[in-house]
Amino acid sequence: MLEKLTLLNKTVVITGGGTGLGREMCLAMARAGADLVIAARRLEPIEEVSNLVRGLGRKSLAISTDATNTSDIKALFDTVLTEFGKVDVLFNNAGIVREDSAKPIWEISDESWKIGIDVNLSTAFYCSREISKHMADNGGGKIVNVSSGFGFRGGRDNYMYAAGKGGIVNLTRAMATSLGRYGITTNCIVPGFIPTEVTDPNSERAKQRGRFIPIGRVGQPSEMGPLAVYLASSASDYMNGEFFAIDGGGLAGGIAPTLHAPEIPLEI
Amino acid sequence: MDTPEGWDLTGKKAVISADRRGWTGFFAAALTEAGADVAIIGSESSDMEDAKNKASSNGRKVITKTTDLMSKESIDQSIQNIVNDFGTIDILVNNAKADFGKRFEQVSESEFDTLIDFNLKSMFLTCQSVGHTMLKNKKGHIVNMTSDLAVRGLWNSVIPCASEGAIHQLTSSLALEWGRDGIRVNGIGAGWLTTQNKSDAAEPDLLDRYLPSKRKGHPNDLTQMLVYLSSDSCDFVNGQTIFIDGGALAHA
Repeated sequence: MLEKLTLLNKTVVITGGGTGLGREMCLAMARAGADLVIAARRLEPIEEVSNLVRGLGRKSLAISTDATNTSDIKALFDTVLTEFGKVDVLFNNAGIVREDSAKPIWEISDESWKIGIDVNLSTAFYCSREISKHMADNGGGKIVNVSSGFGFRGGRDNYMYAAGKGGIVNLTRAMATSLGRYGITTNCIVPGFIPTEVTDPNSERAKQRGRFIPIGRVGQPSEMGPLAVYLASSASDYMNGEFFAIDGGGLAGGIAPTLHAPEIPLEI
Repeated sequence: MDTPEGWDLTGKKAVISADRRGWTGFFAAALTEAGADVAIIGSESSDMEDAKNKASSNGRKVITKTTDLMSKESIDQSIQNIVNDFGTIDILVNNAKADFGKRFEQVSESEFDTLIDFNLKSMFLTCQSVGHTMLKNKKGHIVNMTSDLAVRGLWNSVIPCASEGAIHQLTSSLALEWGRDGIRVNGIGAGWLTTQNKSDAAEPDLLDRYLPSKRKGHPNDLTQMLVYLSSDSCDFVNGQTIFIDGGALAHA
């Protein structure tokens, strides 16, 4: 049963794998045996992760890629197929919250909107489109999209991120329904509040920032590891079109703090 | 093989409820393979003994306690016996479920009561009973098995669907209430499962053709997720019901 969780001889491509959650997912998958191709715009962080992966005895490449640029994506997968011969798993992990996006709607420029939607949504479509034919010809594959709690609810002055991540949710459903017949499954991780700078989950700071999260703390990037391994492995082969929230219960109660409902006796 | 990182239940004590569907053994065996000792609770007519046989090959302790899952007294007694025997309980898997198909206008009051008692009330009772131990420990994992019918309807299945929907909400709201006590409450929503090895390829039935996966599921398709949700590596996952259904819900 547990042997299905191995990633030995699997080639995983991940976008945005240099920092935060992506980095931890890369390292966990490498420890489970995967070879990893890490693609992001800035080369330095992904080179560092790639070196760590090689240190674990796995093959790895860091490829500077602008995932909003379809010729960059084509070049990325051409290189991967030349170097590794196949792609078993794609993690569509790229996404950004731009500093200038937290504004009233009437102050958001065309450019901001387009970049926000491009990075948070279109990159997943472009990468999936580029590699799914290869996966189908290869007998199947696994695509894992990364959305956010904001994919399921609104957020104040949070238009491109919420709309993009909401798009990821239904793109996941459409791909799951359409690509299932080719042996390709598509699932989606929905991370809650997992700030990369909080390293001790039991620190006062983590508790303070997690006061509205039902379990009373924020998440740690390393907690993404086992989940990424599961979704990349054949253990999850019958899971398709599913959303996996890892958010300390944030979505279970909706967005409002629900920890202080009054006690009321039952009377008939 | 070595236990993969994050999937270790060594030394954990688990309770799983049994029914007549024949799935309990696959789930119990997954828990023992990951290192847990397992106590199975259920009636004489359930798949409890079959489950014990399947789970016993991994060198862990497996015990059964004959239990009326619709009786608080019976459940409390079994849970107390298990705590005495195991020392504690770390994991509760609410697996037991009954099902029937009938047009809504023909469903009798007693059928309604029995189904709701067996599917829903038993979960309330086991969570409460095991919860006393978990609240004391400030730690515990509860996994409620449910199905796609928690979030979609089906002809001739109004009462089973209502019970699954209620379980879905029991999972979410109990997760909120016990989250700060170190207890994680999550669920697994199964799609259409069969314990036959695979569907007849020569004559795929309508359902096989409709499912994006082109096949029905098997309880073993759920076992790794069960181990994950029973383990400490899912500490930031709470109040979730994870559907493993070959893509059926993506379609709906």
